Amino acid sequence: MAAITSCSVYIPVWRLGRDEIARATGFQSLGGERSVACWDEDSITMAVEAARGIEENPDALLFASTSSPFKVKQAASLIATALDLNLGIFTSDITDTMRASTNALLMASNMIDSGKFERVLVVASDCIPSKPSSLYEQLFGDGAVALMVEAEGDAEIEGYTTYSKPQPGSWMKAYDDSMKDFDMRVDARYGYAASLQSAIMPLIAKLGLSPADISRVAVSAPDPKSYVGLIKSAGLKPEEFFFDRVGITGTAHPFLLLASQLEREGRILLGSYGEGSDAFCIDIKTPIRTNLSRMIESKKEIDYGEYLYFREKMGEKTYPDRPSPVKYWRDEKSILRFYGMRCKNCKTVSYPISRCCIECGSKDSYEEVKISEKGIIYTYTVDYLISPGNYNADGIHPNVVAVVDFENGGRAFMELTDVYRGKENVEVGMEVERTFRLLNEKNDFRYYYWKVRFPRG
Amino acid sequence: MEVAVIGTGVTKFGHIWEKDQEDLLVEAVYEAVNDASIELKDVEAVWCGTFYPFSGVSGNNFSDPLKFFGKPISRVENYCATGMDNIRNAAFAVASGAFDIVIAAGVEKLMDNGSRGIPFIEGIFPPYMPAVSAPGMFALAANRAFKEWGWSREDLALVAVKNHYNGARHPKAHFRSEITVEKALKAPMIAYPLGLYDCSAVSDGSAAVVLTRPEIAKQIVGDEYAVIKAIGMAVETIHPWSRPSESFLSFPATVKAAKMAYKQAGIENPYKEIDFGIVHDCFTITELINYQDMQLCKPGEGADFIRNGVTAIDGDFPINPDGGLKSFGHPIAASGVRMVCELTRQVLGKADGLQVKDAEVGFAHNLGGPYSVAAVSIVTRA
Repeated sequence: MAAITSCSVYIPVWRLGRDEIARATGFQSLGGERSVACWDEDSITMAVEAARGIEENPDALLFASTSSPFKVKQAASLIATALDLNLGIFTSDITDTMRASTNALLMASNMIDSGKFERVLVVASDCIPSKPSSLYEQLFGDGAVALMVEAEGDAEIEGYTTYSKPQPGSWMKAYDDSMKDFDMRVDARYGYAASLQSAIMPLIAKLGLSPADISRVAVSAPDPKSYVGLIKSAGLKPEEFFFDRVGITGTAHPFLLLASQLEREGRILLGSYGEGSDAFCIDIKTPIRTNLSRMIESKKEIDYGEYLYFREKMGEKTYPDRPSPVKYWRDEKSILRFYGMRCKNCKTVSYPISRCCIECGSKDSYEEVKISEKGIIYTYTVDYLISPGNYNADGIHPNVVAVVDFENGGRAFMELTDVYRGKENVEVGMEVERTFRLLNEKNDFRYYYWKVRFPRG
Repeated sequence: MEVAVIGTGVTKFGHIWEKDQEDLLVEAVYEAVNDASIELKDVEAVWCGTFYPFSGVSGNNFSDPLKFFGKPISRVENYCATGMDNIRNAAFAVASGAFDIVIAAGVEKLMDNGSRGIPFIEGIFPPYMPAVSAPGMFALAANRAFKEWGWSREDLALVAVKNHYNGARHPKAHFRSEITVEKALKAPMIAYPLGLYDCSAVSDGSAAVVLTRPEIAKQIVGDEYAVIKAIGMAVETIHPWSRPSESFLSFPATVKAAKMAYKQAGIENPYKEIDFGIVHDCFTITELINYQDMQLCKPGEGADFIRNGVTAIDGDFPINPDGGLKSFGHPIAASGVRMVCELTRQVLGKADGLQVKDAEVGFAHNLGGPYSVAAVSIVTRA
């Protein structure tokens, strides 16, 4: 059977306290805090951030999400491009259910078992929209997890079962902009536990195991109460559910729970819920290290007002007329794959790729080079006449921009993101690292590109 | 090169809501024509600079306001160096003998485009790059200079104080009041570390000069003319932030344009051989770096110049005795032309209240874009 060989997590740096939500909205606080994607993050950018932590290149990439920014346009191919992957790999989006992540894992497992694929990268990512002052606003958090699946490895997928059963549950119709439900108690009472049980019991039987053979569980839930109820009724020990520190990260949540279990040996049960359940038995023979704790611990708090700005519920983003989708397509190698050039004549590494060297002018005499992840701020400014994302200035959010010298050569002009209203300390000589973000949305097209941030953790 | 400036015209600079671009141009051109004691019909060719709108006006930017039809007119556009490049084109045309009398004019009506900085240029920032405002571009140099040389916001403020002191005494300046270092430091931040008083204003204005060759000038105005001895110009990259060798401590376009101009005029030691200068103080940091790039002092010594009063109007090398862009604002295409008008006033001894002592040779400098276009001209008494 296939195995999980590596795992990488991305949680946005921003945290919003639920007491802060309660203070601003009057909605009762559920306690703790939730992660919040920056205004320039979505399920695509977070997927890229998570997947960048996986070293090996896959021959297939499955993107699992309920919140792709596109209804028509494959996110997986854009993610693969930002990851600078080979054009020949198989890409697919698995969507529309909180089970999308485990659906994708099931497919990946079969793709490996078929012998036709060597490495399948599964990235689950969600940034689910919710209305201000709603329960979902407090339930959800934003994040992404990437898993590499190969034929052999430290965490063997011993088996899986799946169970499909539509419940009223929660939904978003094709053009809705936030989650809807009839009455979540129906699911809590009749859907959640029953679905998981219907998936798990046959799995244990199929593998000839008894419940005592299971060390730990990584089972997601629509809310923390349902999770506790399930664990109690099954007589299991509750594991870290991350509700207090992250929130429920939609379809990425089963993987987030799995990530926290991968660091210890033992046989675990992975379970998801959404129009049924998928259950996996995974035997962790050698612990797999992840960046989970770094992602949880490196954080910055924001207030509710800034959260509303992030989610575009406040302020107006207008832009001076600018980019062209055609140029964006034409210069993909520099824009999305972040390649610069090394001049064969003067050896200068520069960014972006251009026919003539910026230092010596040599024409068509260069090799393409990948620009490194880290760099140093050569100089910078905090520009109050423009807002981040090249939007017109709003008077509150200045654009923090820096001339960055990258580790292995190449200099580029970069937006410094994840800076609260431009008020954090920026200095010449500081270290920054690349992060994949949305530049802006203009003329109904979403432009993604690379920015820099201060190193996480 | 020997090209005579026989007439100058400069409108009042400022927020001139009640006049449009055409009105301003007519005003400046007729002032220059009258000053030159000629008639508009005597003019054989025109170069007219306008930066906005970006395209679509062509030579009609001059022909229609003045109903000046049937003659060659070129529209010039070269960022904030538009004005000086405009004069460069006109001057070389006269020097070549192709024309005897020409006009170089510049006009800009920025306030019709909105007042928050200058409008953005479509396509200048490709989709792999953050946008940055004009003050933002020059703030990159300021932060690097602070780090490299220990300059401070106080040094920048001294430039603003000096230029506003001069501008307060110029009847055509946009801003005519003195400021203090404290006022400059307390002003709102525009692009760190540049505050409001570190930036030149968005203003309206127009300027024009009538050019001819010295032998013709003598017949028309006697000795009452100035001579353009040299105009150097250089274009560098629009993406200085992509060029690894860019120091942000010097603007290579200025260095090269200055060298070119000094060579044309046979000047070896500008500090000694030139009496004063008008530099492009779009931002206070720009003026300090200009001192160095114009070879008046060594790299890193620019701030000493302002601290020690060297560039004050009564200093050893007065810079921007007119008050500079700081006091006039910067109607882009008009600025370079206005600078040459100021040089002419000074070398002819007509700069009432702001006359530099023994002003015989002066230079003017324009710097535009992300420091990518620079032009330097040298003007002497006839």
